[in-house]
Amino acid sequence: MTAMNWRWPTPDGRLPSAVPLAVISAVLVLAASAWLIEVSPVRLWQAGPRLIAFAGHLFTTPDWAYVPRLAEKMLETIEMTVLATFLALLLAFPLGVLAAHNASPHPIIFQMARTLLSSIRALPDMVVALLFVSALGLGALPGILALALVTVGFMGKFIAEAIEVVGTRSIEGLSAAGAGRWQRIQYAMLPQAMPDFIGSLLYILDHNLRAAAVLGLVGAGGIGYDLVMAMRLFDYGRISLIALSIYIVVTLLDRMSAWLRGRVLGRRVNVH
Amino acid sequence: MSIDQALPAKPRSWLPLWLSLLLALLYVIAVDLELDGEALLYGLEDMAGYFARFGSPDFSNLSSYLQLLAQTLAIAVWGSVLALIAAVMIAPFAAITISPNALTYRLARELLNFMRAMPDLLLALLFVAALGLGPMPGVLALAVHTAGFLGKFFAESMERVPAGRYEAMASVGAGFTQTLIFAVWPSMLREAIGNTLYIFDRNVRMAAVLGLVGAGGIGLELHDTLRLFRYDQSSALIMVMLITIIAIDQLSTWIRKKLT
Repeated sequence: MTAMNWRWPTPDGRLPSAVPLAVISAVLVLAASAWLIEVSPVRLWQAGPRLIAFAGHLFTTPDWAYVPRLAEKMLETIEMTVLATFLALLLAFPLGVLAAHNASPHPIIFQMARTLLSSIRALPDMVVALLFVSALGLGALPGILALALVTVGFMGKFIAEAIEVVGTRSIEGLSAAGAGRWQRIQYAMLPQAMPDFIGSLLYILDHNLRAAAVLGLVGAGGIGYDLVMAMRLFDYGRISLIALSIYIVVTLLDRMSAWLRGRVLGRRVNVH
Repeated sequence: MSIDQALPAKPRSWLPLWLSLLLALLYVIAVDLELDGEALLYGLEDMAGYFARFGSPDFSNLSSYLQLLAQTLAIAVWGSVLALIAAVMIAPFAAITISPNALTYRLARELLNFMRAMPDLLLALLFVAALGLGPMPGVLALAVHTAGFLGKFFAESMERVPAGRYEAMASVGAGFTQTLIFAVWPSMLREAIGNTLYIFDRNVRMAAVLGLVGAGGIGLELHDTLRLFRYDQSSALIMVMLITIIAIDQLSTWIRKKLT
């Protein structure tokens, strides 16, 4: 059977016009913006061999003497991730509760918490890190603060969303028994939202580890700084070690959190 | 009002134990990173003074900022479209319900995992080292990293498509490509558009910082103005960035809401 025998499941058997329209407009947008990103066929043609040559350099003897420092820097990266995530949790939790429309004490407070969270989320974490580094100087502290600040925005949003989708029956039950607002939040909303919290907490930990691995590019601590230095010195023995170790740590955390998330969310399915 | 029956014993809670273990861990980390409260307090004091210097934005170079902004957006668009193309090609093989066999499934999954695991700034750094400065390495880095995410999202959507649709296609003798075109994509198009918008949104943010490693966009200018202590210009750049990011965020949230 060839492609010519296909009949599209439309009244006239032809391709719906939305499909070619979308493709053509996408191509037009790309073509119109090509000059901005300096697409040149010549460079792309050269890029292939250069990438292969670069990849070839990475397969040199790893710089084994560097391993102890690598381990130390990697540990620092992980520590920054954990500390920033839990610092953020302290702020994000109350803000998230206030930004959930069913738990917030007043519409005005709800709007304010929402706006605060979305404005915190707006700036990319590297930009915040850059600002904190130029305010506080180099080191892990500005990195942790930047990461924590941006994480508050995301975590607050996730917490609010998790609270907003909880079932209403247990809340009604508690109100019928005379529970106040905070009792309803504590005994009906939070327990139901907990699996979602843990799921998004794991997601954020994951995301923050990646972010912490590159924060060093702007001097905010962690493994990234060593990576930039190795890059500048064309120290391929170190570059490959660092890239490999980042890949391994990120993958390990990814697998672990996927497993944990499956367990936590799976338990919720059984409860219902 | 009195309760005659004795209440059942309160269930034992392990929460205090876990909390104190967590606090102990955080304390150990803080000590290991040599953070101390005093330095933090001084730091916060410094910061208040520091951020006051951003009070008077200087928009005199606005036209060059806007050009950089356009480049940033172009990087995000190109990166997202390339990621979309790659993800559309890889995803069917990474969905267990339609992947032709176990080997392609594992290969596609591992490929997507690998793409996701490399942070995009790190990829950008590698591509800059290999291809030289400019927006092109940034586009490639975004494309590779987000193709991993999009591919995973698509594969998960494909796994959620009710099995009956695949059976219906198989029963009329459709092949792999036909199943994809007539059963898979129509069933998950809305979700896919939502995911793509989310990725685009994310790529705009990332494109704004790619300049830090020399991969084009507005980030390099911000880095330079901060180094030259031109806080008035930094402040203008940050405002341009913020307005764009918020506008695109609002737009994509609005479209996603209309889709569902």
